Amino acid sequence: MKSKLSSAAALALFASAAHAQSSVTLYGTIDTGLLYQSTTASTFQPNARNTGSVFELKDGGIYASNWGLKGTEDIGGGYKINFKLQGVFNSTNGKFGLADTPGATAIFNQYSVVGVSGPFGTIDAGRQIVPMIYAMADTDVRSAQYFGSILTAWLGMNQAAGWPGTSTNAPIGALYDSNALVYQSPKIYGASLALEFAPGGVAGQIQGGTRESAVLKYSNYGLNLAAVYYNGHDTNPFPLTYPTAPAVPATGLDNNRFYYLGALYTIGGFSISASYGIGKNPANTSHVNFEMASGGLGYKFSSVFKVTSGFYYLKDRNNSANHSSEIALGAEYNLSRTTLAYAQVGYVDNRGTMNQTIIYGAPVAPGVSTTAAMIGIRHSF
Amino acid sequence: MKKIEGLGIAVGAFVVAVSVNAWAQNGAASGAPASVSGASAMVASGAATPETGRKANRALRRKVYAAISKYREISAGSISVIAKDGAVTLNGTVTDAAQIDKVADIAKGVPGVTSVTNKLTVQRPFGGQ
Repeated sequence: MKSKLSSAAALALFASAAHAQSSVTLYGTIDTGLLYQSTTASTFQPNARNTGSVFELKDGGIYASNWGLKGTEDIGGGYKINFKLQGVFNSTNGKFGLADTPGATAIFNQYSVVGVSGPFGTIDAGRQIVPMIYAMADTDVRSAQYFGSILTAWLGMNQAAGWPGTSTNAPIGALYDSNALVYQSPKIYGASLALEFAPGGVAGQIQGGTRESAVLKYSNYGLNLAAVYYNGHDTNPFPLTYPTAPAVPATGLDNNRFYYLGALYTIGGFSISASYGIGKNPANTSHVNFEMASGGLGYKFSSVFKVTSGFYYLKDRNNSANHSSEIALGAEYNLSRTTLAYAQVGYVDNRGTMNQTIIYGAPVAPGVSTTAAMIGIRHSF
Repeated sequence: MKKIEGLGIAVGAFVVAVSVNAWAQNGAASGAPASVSGASAMVASGAATPETGRKANRALRRKVYAAISKYREISAGSISVIAKDGAVTLNGTVTDAAQIDKVADIAKGVPGVTSVTNKLTVQRPFGGQ
């Protein structure tokens, strides 16, 4: 009896301790600015035309506005259960962000994961931002921001590969993957490894819709290094004319491959970055085979003011007439710990079929060179 | 267009100018490496602290990095550590505000560090709050 009681008491103590350590946080960011862009297009279609200059209120000058809930429960023994629900929204009209399927939105389109962390590292299951995006952000002076960065360059490659921009299911690499299992190792002398596997869940087709990726990172002595491998099956199944033309059925076709190497070095107030990437369709290399290169330079003038710049180059390895060069320059000023004011300018020289954008969500027509400028504010809560 | 290109060049030139200035200071701090052009003035002042000073600064810098990288949640690759005769200057970014003081405390705890100047700022990660 006594021992039972004491063990029950111990359990009760343990339970209350575990509860005391759990927490839930509601958080988010609103990022809104004024954008001027010298040309626009209404779609990423190859026949899209320049519809003229635009002046608009625009979401996401640094990153998209988003909000979320996250929590951690300490279950003892160095293990924790973590969850995160997070999605973007458009601050100018209140709409939610893109889902996997064209024409659909998702409340939690950035994260809807539950996972475990412990001495072994971290495992998260569900829809999430994939490791390759963090690898690119860590090795870009402009941090894969939404205006003129490695993100818009990588998206430019996707647009050239036939991504209509209406869903998050892209032909080269991925920003978000649904159904994903991601393992993140602990850091050992600054080195770490992330592995992703996403079962496709396609009936009768074990390879159908699967994705696998690996990211090797090093972060020490002021140097961030990252190497990415990404492979996907049956990606971007929606034709440019969807839903008029139906989605391509999943057959296990290996059609998405991305390699990337990047480095960023920080010394004093300076940061300098460089990267190289290849994106292709292994099942159709003669049509989809692109190259991406970047360089960045930034300087932090004070604890509240910094300037970043980047150059991003895209090339079609099948047709040298298709290439694109972009430069972007941005200044960020911290008004407080949670509020940032920013101003940025960019120019893109698109040639041939290239339609690299300056900022995410403001398409330009193929072969049309464009200038954009934006000022905005970003507040976190 | 031309205006914007001009602005880009001007900013680029400015960044380079600042860069040269910063390097010169860094050179002086580390005891005037011979590779820095116009180092003659620094050699004179550096004569009192020859090779050993520079070596010691490098060794201290490595020690500080080694101490920071023991903390797995901190990315030492985004942090700049510059050491000069025991005085350490931290710069670069961390992912949350609490890490700013934490990194400074770690640096202060490294034997041989006499003072820490903290210029770290927060860079919220991609997809972060």
